[in-house]
Amino acid sequence: MGKGLIHSKDDDVCVVVADVKQGEEVVCSSIEDPRYTVVIKAINDIPLGHKIALRKIGEGNDVKKYGRSIGVATKEISLGEHVHVHNIKSKRWGKR
Amino acid sequence: MGKTIEIKGYVREDGSVGIRNHVAIIPLDDLSNTAVMGVAKLVRGTVPLPHHYGRLQFGKDLDLMFHILGGSGANANVAGAIVIGIEENWANKVADLIAKTGKPVEVYPIEGYGDLRTIERASRKAKEMVQEASEKQRTTVDLSSIVMSIKCGESDTTSGLASNPATGIAVDKVIDNGGTVMFGETSELTGAEDIVAEKIRDEELRKKFMKIYDEYITEVESKGADLLGSQPTQGNIKGGLSTIEEKALGNIQKLGRREVNCVLDYLDELPSNRHGTLCFVNTSSAAAEAVTLFASKGSVIHLFTTGQGNIVGHPLIPVVKITANPKTAKLMSEHIDVDLSELLEMRISLEEAGERVFQYSLKTINGRLTASEVLQHDEFVPIKLYISA
Repeated sequence: MGKGLIHSKDDDVCVVVADVKQGEEVVCSSIEDPRYTVVIKAINDIPLGHKIALRKIGEGNDVKKYGRSIGVATKEISLGEHVHVHNIKSKRWGKR
Repeated sequence: MGKTIEIKGYVREDGSVGIRNHVAIIPLDDLSNTAVMGVAKLVRGTVPLPHHYGRLQFGKDLDLMFHILGGSGANANVAGAIVIGIEENWANKVADLIAKTGKPVEVYPIEGYGDLRTIERASRKAKEMVQEASEKQRTTVDLSSIVMSIKCGESDTTSGLASNPATGIAVDKVIDNGGTVMFGETSELTGAEDIVAEKIRDEELRKKFMKIYDEYITEVESKGADLLGSQPTQGNIKGGLSTIEEKALGNIQKLGRREVNCVLDYLDELPSNRHGTLCFVNTSSAAAEAVTLFASKGSVIHLFTTGQGNIVGHPLIPVVKITANPKTAKLMSEHIDVDLSELLEMRISLEEAGERVFQYSLKTINGRLTASEVLQHDEFVPIKLYISA
């Protein structure tokens, strides 16, 4: 079973702390409160340090980590999907 | 607060405290690198600072060059310095900045002598300086006399989760003991600049910080670009960081929990009356440029967190490399001083990890050599603001 960490309880993503294979279950713990855990099934391979979606995120919606927006979804993201530059982008740069 | 923490350092003529005892050989300009390297080759114990600039710079860019070269020689890790320049007027300007500290400094111009005679003249003096420096002893002083700097590089998500917050705890301890800590990376605060602004002590300093930040971003945008594609870097993206906002929110974890009570633009000096100072310094986010500027403002030790494995060092100040990425700690172990991968695996607490960083910093201050020092990572890179005249 894979392991991951969540910065803030209302975050949309969890960071996996070891490589995760497609179909593997990941136990994500909150670093603020380690008793709070969520188990999700990875629908892609997710490398160490990369993010997995804790819930479905609609296209154009904010993606939250550290309790803040780290960008917006450029397409719909499913629960358990790898979240990275292929499906989110900065709200600050890249407008040109 | 408990007992003050004592360290062993070299107390310089002006009262500043160094943790290394170098004799620096400083080229004013690119043309003087050959003579500088010649001296360093002949005289054991000298540290050369070769770089690519110093000719036909102007305005603030020239002032910054003098500030960096003079500040590096004035750094408390330096016992004495030699400045070699193609001509002596500008070399004297650098030497004057160093001489203000009261430490020995000599200038050798190349025009009228040639490289070979300059190398001989400078080497004779350098030999004396090294012998003089070798008599300097470490004495016991308070940790409050230490000036530290912090920066992360080749960051990934493990930086924001573990190595940066642990470093933040060490930063809090240094400040609580009266020490000084500098941070920078202006463009890399994008997405968290409001959080940094909120940590600043008063409105006047907050305005100064926001002006510096806004001008930096405006300068980038005036080139018809933004930093997408450069920030996050390709290494950051490989490590799982997707956007500048995510990178910035991870970056600021290392600032700790104390208020920012000092804001410095490129040419500003650290305030002389300091006790528990956390200082923003306007810098680029490129590792060697930032560390070089911090050292020229007085930093004697740098804490450097990395995710994917940045290997930067500096010729005059020890750079302590900290990672929580287990792959990096294993595959690049020769570069890593503090391995915090146990924190990522939640086998130690954040407090324990912070204490580990703090204790390693004390060991480094007291004389233990860092990986970057032993592996000769001597990056000296002055920030250049303008094109040359």
